[in-house]
Amino acid sequence: MIRKIILLLSLFLAVTVAAQDIDPDLLTIKQRMDSIEEFRAHLTLDLDVSFINMPTKTADMHYRKDKPVKFSSDDFVLIPKRGLDFSMNELLKYSFITVDRGVVEKDGSVYKVINVIPTDKKADFAIATLLLDTLNQRIVESEINTKKDGSYTLAMQYANTDMILPELVVVSFEITRIKIPLNYMGKGTEVDKEELKLDGPKTGKIILQISNYKIVYSGE
Amino acid sequence: MRALIAAEIYKLLRQGKTYFALAAIFLIEGVILISAYYQGSNIIDILLDNLKQSFYFEGNLLNGNLLIYLILNTLWFHVPLILMIIISGILTSEYKDGTIQTVMLQPVSKWKFLLSKYIVAIIFTLIVVFFLALTSFGLSYSIFGFGDLIVYLDTLNFFSSSEAFYRLSWSFASGAVSMVFFSIVSLTLAVIFKEATKTWIIAAFFLILSNLLLKVDFGNYWVNRLFFVKLNDTWQYLFYTEIDWSGIYWNNLLLIIYSMIFIAFGLYLFNKKDIG
Repeated sequence: MIRKIILLLSLFLAVTVAAQDIDPDLLTIKQRMDSIEEFRAHLTLDLDVSFINMPTKTADMHYRKDKPVKFSSDDFVLIPKRGLDFSMNELLKYSFITVDRGVVEKDGSVYKVINVIPTDKKADFAIATLLLDTLNQRIVESEINTKKDGSYTLAMQYANTDMILPELVVVSFEITRIKIPLNYMGKGTEVDKEELKLDGPKTGKIILQISNYKIVYSGE
Repeated sequence: MRALIAAEIYKLLRQGKTYFALAAIFLIEGVILISAYYQGSNIIDILLDNLKQSFYFEGNLLNGNLLIYLILNTLWFHVPLILMIIISGILTSEYKDGTIQTVMLQPVSKWKFLLSKYIVAIIFTLIVVFFLALTSFGLSYSIFGFGDLIVYLDTLNFFSSSEAFYRLSWSFASGAVSMVFFSIVSLTLAVIFKEATKTWIIAAFFLILSNLLLKVDFGNYWVNRLFFVKLNDTWQYLFYTEIDWSGIYWNNLLLIIYSMIFIAFGLYLFNKKDIG
């Protein structure tokens, strides 16, 4: 009897999972993204974190499929660990399912909203919400909840309707306030006890302007 | 007056402790550079530990500008203390050796004699700060190279290399005014106490107290704004993102006025007191 129940449950689960298709629009976008073998681009970075004052920085980036992104700069640059995966290669690397969340209107355009839920334990995020521009076959916004590093959002703008990679990306992320060892503090440093008490994670933004794309597509 | 100033410079250059003290300043500079060479990356790591969770770092922050900033921070205590010992010594040694009585037997006015010491003290202090700046720029850039400067003043402030050079240079200039103030105070203390050890202890106490009171809120805007202990961190203003130039001008002007008051007070006391 128990065996029969287990068998029935297994069949039910298998049918349920099979019913969770991957969104066809996302698959189209993924195929388009997968066609990028590598690209080089010039980055302009503006950091917007309440407790960090940093001038605008520039860097060059080099992306190659399935390889870590490389950066080079003459200056000291803080490069966000999250949010530079414009190709969404990392996000869609392991098996996943999608859930259709309908549509949303934003800035006069209608976008499809889907949740991406990984089914492979190796994926480092728990759930992602993507806004898809189905007309131009690209992602315009994503909110990714990671397993270890909190959540972050990416808002992307594109130079024209054909472009697959963004020209402007705003990465919003959570960041804990710096705890400076006392012996490094200058005497001019004020310690605001009230602020320290209220201290929790802060939201930071990094605004990336990307230019001079040199994209190599597979088969080229 | 010129002859008196020349004589004072000669005496300053002839006394051994001048060179010991100068060697001490440059030894401190050397220790900072050597320790940074071997342990400097640890400081940066601690400072940026929280940021490592969110960012990759591209570039090197352990560079000449950071080292110059660390050397600049000796203006809080090390440099003024050493300057106060040397400067007070130019009068206390005269009392100790009895040469002051010999000088006063000559047709030399008392105020001119002391004023020449104040002038030499100012010149000497400016030269020391200038050489400290020159050697710190020269050694730090040649060993550690150029790069962005990172400073923590309420917020984590980053400055490009050229911006850092500009700010560090002005900071040394502003710091020189503060150092001149402490030198003048030490000479005035020498007029009061005459004896070297007493003067050194009181001078060190004055310096420590000034540093402690810098952080004290006196509860009155004008006291907080005008009291001399509140003016000695002006050279740090250069490392806020927005430079408060008017604050820097006013604070330095006030420090110069305080220095003149201490000179006038020293001259008054010296004229009034008996030599011996």
